[in-house]
Amino acid sequence: MVHADPARVREAVDRLVDLALAWESPGGLRPLSGVAEGLTGGPEAGVSGLRPCSTPTPAAREVTRLLGELSEPARAMLEHVLAAGGEATTDDARHTVLPADAATPAEELLSRRLLVPRGSGTVVVPGEVGIALRGGHTTAERVDEVPVPASTDRSERQVDAMAAGAAFDAVRRLELLLDLWGAEPPSALRSGGLGVRDLRATAAALHVEEATVALLVEAASGAGLLSTAADPAGNQVWLPTDLVDSWVLRPPAERWTGLARTWLDSPRMPGLVGTRDTAGKAWNALAPELAGVHMAETRAMTLAALAALPPGTCLAAGTGVPSVVTLLRWQRPRRPRSRADQVLWTVTEAAALGVTGLDGLASYARDLLAGDDEKAQKALAGLLPEPVDHVLLQADLTAVAPGPLESQLARRLQLVADVESRGGATVYRFTPGSVRRALDTGWTAVELHDFLGSVSRTPVPQPLTYLVDDTARTFGSVRVGHAEAFLRADDEAALTELLHHPKAGSLGLRRLAPTVLVSTVPLDLLLPRLRELGAAPVVEAEDGSVHVVRPDQRRARTPREHRGRGAAAARRTATVSAVVTAIRSGDRAASSRPLGPEASLSPSGSLAALREAVEVGRSVLIVYVDNHGSRSERVVDPVSVEGGVLTAHDQRSDDVRTFAVHRITAVRPISG
Amino acid sequence: MNDGPLIVQSDKTLLLEVDHERAADCRKAIAPFAELERSPEHIHTYRLTPLGLWNARAAGHDAEQVVDTLLEYSRYAVPHALLVDVAETMARYGRLRLEKHPIHGLVLASTDRPVLEEVLRAKKVAGMLGARIDDDTVVVHASERGNLKQALLKLGWPAEDYAGYVDGEAHPIALDLSDWSLRDYQREAAESFWHGGSGVVVLPCGAGKTLVGAAAMAQAQATTLILVTNTVSARQWKDELLRRTSLTEDEIGEYSGSVKEVRPVTIATYQVMTTKRQGVYRHLELLDARDWGLIVYDEVHLLPAPIFRMTADLQARRRIGLTATLVREDGREGDVFSLIGPKRYDAPWKDIESQGWIAPADCVEVRVSLPTDERLVYATAEPEERYRLASCTHQKLQVVRDLVAQHAGQPTLVIGQYIDQLDELAAALDAPVIKGETTVKERQRLFQAFRTGEVGLLVVSKVANFSIDLPSAEVAIQVSGSFGSRQEEAQRLGRLLRPKTEGRTAHFYTIVSRDTVDADFAQNRQRFLAEQGYAYRIVDAEDLPA
Repeated sequence: MVHADPARVREAVDRLVDLALAWESPGGLRPLSGVAEGLTGGPEAGVSGLRPCSTPTPAAREVTRLLGELSEPARAMLEHVLAAGGEATTDDARHTVLPADAATPAEELLSRRLLVPRGSGTVVVPGEVGIALRGGHTTAERVDEVPVPASTDRSERQVDAMAAGAAFDAVRRLELLLDLWGAEPPSALRSGGLGVRDLRATAAALHVEEATVALLVEAASGAGLLSTAADPAGNQVWLPTDLVDSWVLRPPAERWTGLARTWLDSPRMPGLVGTRDTAGKAWNALAPELAGVHMAETRAMTLAALAALPPGTCLAAGTGVPSVVTLLRWQRPRRPRSRADQVLWTVTEAAALGVTGLDGLASYARDLLAGDDEKAQKALAGLLPEPVDHVLLQADLTAVAPGPLESQLARRLQLVADVESRGGATVYRFTPGSVRRALDTGWTAVELHDFLGSVSRTPVPQPLTYLVDDTARTFGSVRVGHAEAFLRADDEAALTELLHHPKAGSLGLRRLAPTVLVSTVPLDLLLPRLRELGAAPVVEAEDGSVHVVRPDQRRARTPREHRGRGAAAARRTATVSAVVTAIRSGDRAASSRPLGPEASLSPSGSLAALREAVEVGRSVLIVYVDNHGSRSERVVDPVSVEGGVLTAHDQRSDDVRTFAVHRITAVRPISG
Repeated sequence: MNDGPLIVQSDKTLLLEVDHERAADCRKAIAPFAELERSPEHIHTYRLTPLGLWNARAAGHDAEQVVDTLLEYSRYAVPHALLVDVAETMARYGRLRLEKHPIHGLVLASTDRPVLEEVLRAKKVAGMLGARIDDDTVVVHASERGNLKQALLKLGWPAEDYAGYVDGEAHPIALDLSDWSLRDYQREAAESFWHGGSGVVVLPCGAGKTLVGAAAMAQAQATTLILVTNTVSARQWKDELLRRTSLTEDEIGEYSGSVKEVRPVTIATYQVMTTKRQGVYRHLELLDARDWGLIVYDEVHLLPAPIFRMTADLQARRRIGLTATLVREDGREGDVFSLIGPKRYDAPWKDIESQGWIAPADCVEVRVSLPTDERLVYATAEPEERYRLASCTHQKLQVVRDLVAQHAGQPTLVIGQYIDQLDELAAALDAPVIKGETTVKERQRLFQAFRTGEVGLLVVSKVANFSIDLPSAEVAIQVSGSFGSRQEEAQRLGRLLRPKTEGRTAHFYTIVSRDTVDADFAQNRQRFLAEQGYAYRIVDAEDLPA
């Protein structure tokens, strides 16, 4: 009944029995309860649409006869329903009709019980009908034929060379990326991922595609080389971790093995980056939710499929990936549809990381899959280019390193020259700017010459020597320093005397020129100290003119008379007079009201007017809008203006009140 | 590990180690698709560009060959992305074809309908295409053939041109090889041009580009229009053609400011072609005056804009561009390629030098220091005045004097930009001066006198930058130039590169003022030559042997 070789079926059944998913009952082989229910479902669930048989099961011959009676449209409909998972909905078909009365194809099928209603308009194909339609088998295709990945033959050496090149490239680019992010860390999104713009900028800086950057950062973060941390401003940024410092010192092969191992076991799905989820939200690299439960398994299975091919055999271009998808679907039929994408990602990521070359598994990657990381590392090291310890200097002011440079040397060269092109080799260009950068970090011209002479296989070209000397000659010809004040005098002796005065030590004096000294002490401290030392300095203004000032005579403002000092009687009088004042203030407010529409003051305008009133101690009329929006005019004696709040004595209420300055729409001085 | 001479970088540059034993083979193998960018002493840099790859496709190479070549010669693994990119780029070529249709004339046909649809919707080609004949074919206005090709190139879907060339009016031309023969590279250049149909040949100054032109004419066997930079160079072309080919005086016409002859072979100047009268380019009609079978553009890097536009209309005729330096300071190298045709031949200067066809040259930069008073004037000068001030310092006069004295007896040119400075130098050195206002007759007389050795020292302005054949010149002293123009520097050096008797070395001096913009510009100017492998020596003025 199973569409396969009987021997293979027996094997499979034995295995099911061994796994206790089925048991041999007296009535025959029965699945464990629950297994059958677990298997039903449409193609979304990944199975062929096996359905329980109706009870009692009609004989196969009977079913065949009924099928033979069907009209052409009804047969087509049945096959369609079966292909769509054995389940369909009908709205208007009557469920209880005789075959003779059937008006529609659906009714034709229902009447013969080739479709069985299951409530709420749903109909299903019973198991025995499905089997009959598939020619007496549970599946339409044979299930004992293992799909074979489409492949082409390449030389093993080429595959390894390609893969090793990619592996080296991946490690080198990651190092560059970490350098880049160490200097200019990209900010972390609030959701934890990396912004699209930062991803794009990094991709542009590294000359790779965004997908590769996403893969590299995911691998790096998995390997603990990247993490988020707060920058000085308190924002979360992505930063290389302290592991990186030891990481960069290790040989490339060791670094690669670590990365590849992380990638193999990682549930992360960088392949999603750049696409959108069902809600239309873009997937960000490094976002925490960018992981899938099946990813590691798919990856392992895909690579296992590649590993099953003999060395040097690669996936065929175009048809290779779909064939692997078919194979995986055969091996795990119940996995979700998204598996096809995951296989494709695995293949592209493996190529980018150097696990595969030309879509064939590299020899060292086989060791890695077998779990022997050390062997993989050794095999890879043999394939990677030897680091070189020299460069070729040329008269057009470039230096070419004909291979990967030793790490230390590369760093030093990067300091004295700009990198122009990267790859297997590196091209550096010397510019006045780059030489100055080296001088800035403490190199001398002599050291530079020695360095260039020692790393170059070829004689140092004369223009380069000149470039270094020229830059060194002008380097530091202008010096910049920090001083609080300067002292100058035409009388050199006077300055010398000051400089050597036993009490001048704390002034931090330093001679710049015979007639100029600088001091680290600010002017207002320096001036009295110099006077103490017996000098008679004058202050020079910014334009060079001499600025003579008399020391400021400080004065306090005459205090205003305070009301109601002490006595109760006085207070009573004051109350009376306050009442009068309140009445009068109304009059005064009216009298000082402008005839035309009053000009509203801007907050800064009112501030200035109020400050003036505080200074002068004058009463003012203010127009105030309270929190309910009602406008009132008050005559007040301002006391202070601070932090946008006016504190003033309100004459009408005879109380000290505060007013928000921004609510004051007009200020008008009151004479009298 | 492969021990090849080539290193393929991920930014699509190819580094070729010159001293490697397989370098020569590798160079030959990559030349069809990679463009030579720099050729200093040890490592030559090539670049893979879409244009270069498409040219390779046009010449019959396919992506697999390119990839195989890279893999074969590469020392390290070739970045996978680059190989994919090469294949993809090359696959874009030829999806569109320009064809001759028996009924509709020139048509654009496609094997890939989406590409055609994309192109039809592009704004850039609007107006160049006519009615749609069927799903895959569109009529092209015949006059837009060049513009369309250019526009398609910019869109990234270069069209393969099957429409062919008109033969033009036949005219027998043969090389007169009785007392000379074509050099190997000249023959190769002419042949690769002929196979390609149209294109640009890049050869160093003094390497005999005129003869490549003559060889092309001999192959075309048709009436020819030659466009040159100025009248003096027009006369040189004429003399050279009379000497080296079967053409006679009556067959060669000159079309310039003074003479207007249209003959089977006509030599016209760019200047006369671009002269406007009453707002119209009256002489552009010359391009249609005869049924030309070949158009030769001398010094194609100087091709003026109006001729650019006219050339777009001339796509049905064969065109050859000749130049030593395809660097245009206006960055329009791409237009030259798409209108005249791709680069068909290119040879590093040093290769030709090592074969002995151009003289070896010793390039020296002499640095003078501005005296304190001039430095002060310089420091406070307006930026636009600075170059003039720095390059016209009186310090240079003394250096020129010393150098002239040092090379006494050797024909010497003093080249400069500023007329005042040149007049002053001429007076001080007691030498004749050639500048813009000098008449053509006087110029020719002086050049002739210089060639024969009557005059041993000439002071010239930029009028002598191009196409002036002065085979005897051995020393050139450059006192000032057009700011940082790289090609001017190369052209000036080119004046010296005609092979010398007894294989003598030419001397090229550039005098620059230290620590000024003059020095900055000098560095930029030297870059092209440095990239061609001409290493500059730097000497302080004080260190010159007096």
